[in-house]
Amino acid sequence: MNNDNKNNAEPVRAQKSLKATAVAGAYQKEWFAGLKARVEKGEDFGYLNADVPMEILRAMDIPFVVNQWWAAICAAKRMAPKYYGLLNEQGYRDDLCSYCATAFAESLDPDDKVSGPWGGLPDPTIAITRLTCDCQSKIFELFAKNHGSELYVMENTQPRRVPPNWWELAPDRWEELYDPDRLDFAVEELKALISFLEAKTGKMFDINKLIEVMNLINEQESWYKKTRDLIAETQPAPVTVVDTINAVMQAQWQRGTRWAADHAKSLYEEIKAFVDQKRSSVPNERLRLMWLGRGLWHDFAFYQNFEEKYGAVFMWSMYLAMGADAYIRNNVEADPLRALAARYIGMEDFLHMPPWNANWFLHEAKHNRIDGVVYMVPENCMQALEGSYFVKKTLEDAGIPVLIFKADPVDARKWNRETMTGLVEDFIETRIIMGGKK
Amino acid sequence: MSIRVCARDNKTFRRLLEYYSDREKAARLFRKNGGKVVGELGCDVPDELIIAAGMFPYRIYAGECSHLIEADRYLEYSFDPVVRMQFEKLTDGTLNNEIDYLAISNSTDTLIRIYLYLKEIKRSEPEKPVPDLEFIDWLFTRRLIHQTRNEFTVRLFWEKLEEWSGRKITYKDFAEAASICNEDRVAIREIMKLRRAYKPRVTGSEALVIIGSAFYMDRREHAALTRQLYEDAKKWPEINGPRIFLTGSAQENTELYELIENEGAVIVGEDHDWGERFVNRDCNLGYSPVRAVVDQYMMREFSSKKAFVSQRVEALDREVEACGAEAVMFYMNAFEEAASWDMPSQRKSLAARGIKTRAFTKMSYPVSKNSALEPGLKTFIESLKG
Ligand code: SF4
Repeated sequence: MNNDNKNNAEPVRAQKSLKATAVAGAYQKEWFAGLKARVEKGEDFGYLNADVPMEILRAMDIPFVVNQWWAAICAAKRMAPKYYGLLNEQGYRDDLCSYCATAFAESLDPDDKVSGPWGGLPDPTIAITRLTCDCQSKIFELFAKNHGSELYVMENTQPRRVPPNWWELAPDRWEELYDPDRLDFAVEELKALISFLEAKTGKMFDINKLIEVMNLINEQESWYKKTRDLIAETQPAPVTVVDTINAVMQAQWQRGTRWAADHAKSLYEEIKAFVDQKRSSVPNERLRLMWLGRGLWHDFAFYQNFEEKYGAVFMWSMYLAMGADAYIRNNVEADPLRALAARYIGMEDFLHMPPWNANWFLHEAKHNRIDGVVYMVPENCMQALEGSYFVKKTLEDAGIPVLIFKADPVDARKWNRETMTGLVEDFIETRIIMGGKK
Repeated sequence: MSIRVCARDNKTFRRLLEYYSDREKAARLFRKNGGKVVGELGCDVPDELIIAAGMFPYRIYAGECSHLIEADRYLEYSFDPVVRMQFEKLTDGTLNNEIDYLAISNSTDTLIRIYLYLKEIKRSEPEKPVPDLEFIDWLFTRRLIHQTRNEFTVRLFWEKLEEWSGRKITYKDFAEAASICNEDRVAIREIMKLRRAYKPRVTGSEALVIIGSAFYMDRREHAALTRQLYEDAKKWPEINGPRIFLTGSAQENTELYELIENEGAVIVGEDHDWGERFVNRDCNLGYSPVRAVVDQYMMREFSSKKAFVSQRVEALDREVEACGAEAVMFYMNAFEEAASWDMPSQRKSLAARGIKTRAFTKMSYPVSKNSALEPGLKTFIESLKG
């Protein structure tokens, strides 16, 4: 959809109903201020892509920010037009890799420390990414150069065997999920990363600390599992993605901390109280919708556009469900690095590789009694080539209609809420309601 | 200028051109005689091993595809146009009659996706005419753990080839195949000197034919023909005109080169895989076979897809200097975007050396679809002449 953005000058703010969402929002600001203070005192500071095993830095108490989290903050602050303009000025294309390149674009802003989100990004001393696409290393190198950070990259290997139903194997039988040599290699990569970080920061990596971090993550993600199951099994849904995406994503970037585990628990308890009180997010819920793809960070209110007219509720996104199914790795103690390897090398595959993604989406759609799927394929990201044909076919063969459209999760310039709303309304009317699904 | 009369009149060049143009000719004959053909998708499939297994390596190309029914069905919009056409031929049955197996290398992110999609098609729609396939999961980060991992990857491919060919690949088989490929690369490098010379005697278009024909014929014969041609080409007329280096999307035919050279420039070098990057590094027979293959493919000049910006800046500076180019042309197909991130830094570095640049981005495929290209080229080349 190439729509001119004419009507987005004043964004409509999404209505959020959970305390946990507000708490996470407040906490991240406080945490970021604390992080800045540490960096100002001269501590090393890491900037990581989302697929980097951040657990290692957490265990070493190296403060870090995650690229995609920061891009979402920049998008929510509507910085994209300014940043992509800067890219253009410097001879870069402004229509590529918006999600991953936001922070690089920001690094071109001479006023960042004054007018950047939350006082701008402090200069990282370390930048780490994985080579999960051809552009990643290039963007991170440019970013690192502008900030004077040391760059470190980790590789990505492809699976040869793909056992079905990864979500059943992941928590306890994770060894069976992968070719053993891939796990061996990923452990080697983790050891190399640790050596780099030890040399760079002078801090020791303590394996016992990693066990602690991994167990805290298991605790946190187990709460997400309970939360996901609770929402899936409650009709009308107690909350929508507008609440869960933010509440979960913000805490996921804090994973491995006591705060994050406790926050996940509080999220569950709050939603459970809603359920017990028979409170629902959209009392007239008639249709349950699944959102596939990254969050629409610049227009969260969009998700709520279909509630009043159709009783259509976006109640599923990958953020909570990935927490529920993709992160837990039990039996950590025997070999924590291997357990961590079994977490981080699969993340991309669970989401982007057919049939793993398609089968999981179908499983989740059934579990959540989904009536229709709205699937946003990012405009300018190679990694988002994830077999959308197979995803659509798998879901539609099972009787669940799918609407695929192109849009950008962080760049609001081409987004036209009105047009997109019309598209989804048409889908609801013709494919779900008239299609006999409801 | 492009492919000149002196080349067309030359018997040896004509033979190479024949294989370059009729790309299935040798593979068909090989199959007719009972041999097996391995299609290569990606520029990092080790030919040496395929030849050592007694099979025929055949590079998949887009060519001209009048329809994209399968590609449009399975591939998202942002697969680049060349890969779309290659995919079409792999799934609509066209290549089923030409190849027995398919080897895909991790040369770009797009090809990883193609591998995953083809694998899924084979699993979920087994009636589709997709050949048996193997993925070569190279890692291009230059550290010891990656080199060691690559050795493992090569051993897997080695075993797969033994399975496909039904025979063991001995050291002797390997050494013989690697020697032939080395010999061919040496011969190509030798004739490329005539292209890079102060007064070139081989055009870029002719060079593409000389190099590209290797992908479609017996390598020993290719080496012999190239050596012969070197002797003949020494006597070809000298070429005048601005010396251009081409970087960006691979050019699997001479269309773009001919357009540029018809404007009076000469392409003295390129860094894509249908050009001189193919002969950048030999297989070191002083190493064990697996190590030799890893060394060759992992350590050759950086590709535009699998390297840092700084590596690409240095590589381009190095190559431009080596061939004495006075200008660099960036040419990038739509949706083949990774190199776009290199370009601003590369242009800056080249400008500091007094090298002029011109960028053509988001280009359609085939080249002829770009109506604004010709005038753009003309203006640029005229500016170089001035
Ligand atoms: S292709 Fe996608 S994952 Fe890769 S850098 Fe660009 S936006 Fe990020």
